Parts: sequence; structure tokens; C-alpha cells
Amino acid sequence: MQSSIMKKIIFLILFSSAFGVGAGEIVQQCNSDNLANECIPKLSEGFNFLKSYKIDGTAKDRIEYSYVFMKGTQYMINICTGGAVTDGMVVSILDKDRNKIASSKINGQFVSAIAYPCNASGIYYIQYTFDDPSNHCGGSALGFKR
Amino acid sequence: MKIFIIGVLTVFLVSCTSEKKPDDQEFQKSLESTEEKTGIDEGVINAILDQIPSPLEISVLLKESGSKYNGALLNQSDNLVKYNNNYKKALNLGVYGTDLGYTNIYSQNQDGIKFISSIKSLADELNIGQFFDIETIGRLATNSKNPDSLLLITTLNFNHINHYLQTQGRDNLSVLLLTGGWLEAMQITCQVAAKKPSKELFEKIGEQKIILEQILLLFSFYKDDTNMAGLLKDFELLKAAYEKVTINYTYKESSMEIVNGVAVIKDNSTTTIDITEQTVEEIRTIINSIRTRIIN
Repeated sequence: MQSSIMKKIIFLILFSSAFGVGAGEIVQQCNSDNLANECIPKLSEGFNFLKSYKIDGTAKDRIEYSYVFMKGTQYMINICTGGAVTDGMVVSILDKDRNKIASSKINGQFVSAIAYPCNASGIYYIQYTFDDPSNHCGGSALGFKR
Repeated sequence: MKIFIIGVLTVFLVSCTSEKKPDDQEFQKSLESTEEKTGIDEGVINAILDQIPSPLEISVLLKESGSKYNGALLNQSDNLVKYNNNYKKALNLGVYGTDLGYTNIYSQNQDGIKFISSIKSLADELNIGQFFDIETIGRLATNSKNPDSLLLITTLNFNHINHYLQTQGRDNLSVLLLTGGWLEAMQITCQVAAKKPSKELFEKIGEQKIILEQILLLFSFYKDDTNMAGLLKDFELLKAAYEKVTINYTYKESSMEIVNGVAVIKDNSTTTIDITEQTVEEIRTIINSIRTRIIN
């Protein structure tokens, strides 16, 4: 009995080593890194890439980052999910007082990108929320142009 | 059987620890004034770091406003030999990063190549050179048909470096890197504004008050670091000059429409930036003084 358990442990260790699979990776099912990278070339032409964001909300209702947007600059934020369109994922821009400035959900319709010509310099929140409870995983990229 | 299991476990543990890059231990040792932990949540520091905009935005503004390329505004690549501690290396890695971005924006690739070499050297000395893809960057830099790709890869490399430093708990270096980059962008903007004053450039300099406040906040976490405390004192002078700048924000609900699958926003909020020519001159003098100490 003890020998059988030992064999299973050895098998698991060797299997994990051979395939480079760590325990963390088995648990983590959201490959937000890849999805964030996929988003970079999807920024519209003329936009310079600034940052990519991982959206791993498997245990959260929302993910939030912040960024200083500058007046006179146009920003684009897109979202990428593994599935169709945006899978209920919504990106919103809020100002420092948390007034909503922009959203990728307009009148119930989901879109995969926001073009935001900033008219007021300041710190803004980039917030990702999930209308579809089954998908809290994605990536996003931020770009700019003048 | 037990010996066999111990053997397997040993191999497994060694294989796990060897995933850590060989440079890491040296990297940890090589840091100066970082022994004492700040006690501040690194997540807070990283969140502030992440919101600081790229110096590229200012370079693009300068080009679009008709300002011509001026290589004399940039740091000299042969100043590299002067940077003999990690504090200066990190700051000047940021400085050179901004300079490289500026040359990229203006497609001045011959100048850019000099900075690539300096950046690679500093990154190697800080043991973060593995994130700097010199081969690809060098290839793109010699092919002027690909300025966008060059910008993209340099931005990605710097993002990776910052992310790595932050995940390694070495966010102080990340703070210095971003600060150096910001200072260099400020210096370029101030020099251009002095030569060709315009309301737009003055406002651009004025609105950097928002960034300065974030940088001051970051530096306040490192008061025990002698080098960073010294730089904080310099920034306090800059803060005093910026107290004469006022930024007024007015919120008005924005409107949106969908165009070709993209939510296009009409931002109705505004900021007004009040800054005088005298204040711009004062800021320029302080920035120039800080920058001169950093690059020499």
C-alpha cells in the first residue's frame, strides 16, 4: 500500500519535472499573459503601444489599473478573450472622482475597444468587469496617438 | 526505496531552483542601499509605477508640433563610463531609454544605435540584460522601414524590465528607471520650449505636475535610501516651483458612439492649466540642474 503511494508520488514528481508543469500552473487556468500579448497587434493602425494588462478575475468581480492620461492625446484600450467578441467582459474608464468617462458596453452592446481622445489630464482608472459569470479571463492593451 | 525517493526529490528540487536565473543572486547582492525594506506594500508602489505615462508620448507631441530633431539635447552615449553605481546606472538606463525613444520617433536610427549599445551595457550591469533583445532591436534599428516595430519592441523590453524588477521586490530600481526617463523627457521638452515657446508646450510642462506628485509619493517610500533621499530633496525644489502651477478639472458627462466596432468617446470634461513663462523658466533651470548631476 505504502509502496503504491510512493510510486504515485514519484510518478507525479517526474511527470511535473519532465513537462515543466508547476503546481501553480495546474491551478491557474486563465492565461491572461497570452491574451494580453494577443491584444497588442490588435490596436488600430497609428496607435503606439504603451502597456498590456492581464485580466485574471477568476476570483474577483473586477480588475482595476490606473494610468495618467494626457489632454490632447488619443488613447485606445482593447480587450481580448479566448472566445467570441468580448465574452461579456467590459472595460471602462473612470476619472479620479470615479465618474464614468467611457465604456465598451453601450446600450447593451459589447465592443472590443474604446477610442478615447482625452480632453482632461489626470489620473484615470481602467476598470474591467464581467457581465458573463463564466468568463473572468482576458487580456488588454493600451495604445496612444496624437 | 527510500534512498531512491530522496534522490528523485533532490533532483526535483535542484531542477526547480535552477529555474531561477543564474544572475539573480549576483543581482540581489549588487543592489546598493536596498537592504532595508520599506515596509510599504509593494503592490501600492507597483500600482503607482504602472500609472506613470511613457516618455514616448512627449516625444511624439514634440514631433507633431513641428519641433525638429535635436541630438544635442540628448545624453552622450560615452557618458556610460561615469555610471559606476547601481543608483546612477538605473537612472541613466531610464535617461537613455527616453533618448532611444526620441531617436525612434524621429527615425534617427544612427543615433539610436549608440543608445542601444549603452542601454544594453547598463542593463547587463544591472543583471536585467536578458530582457533586452539587442539582436532584434539592432536589426530593426538598421532597417528604417520599421520604426513602429522598433518602438514596439523597445517599449515591450522596458515593460518587461520594470515588471521583472517589481516582481523581484527591487522596485526601487524600477522607480529610478522611470524617474530617469521622465526627467529626460522633461529636459527635452523644457529645452524645446525655451527655443520655441508655445502655449501648448507650456501646458505640457505644467501638466507634468500630476506626474511629479506621483514620483514624490514614490520617493517618500525610500527615505532611508541615501541616494534616493538626496534626489527627493532636489525634487522638493521642483515641487516648490510647481506650486505656482494650477490645474483645474471640470467634469462633464461624455458621449459615445460605436464606429466600426469601436466605442468612440467624446470627452466633454476639461482641464485648464495655468502656468506663466517665468514658472516654465524656473522649472527648466531646476530640471537642467538635476539632470546634469544625474548624467555626469
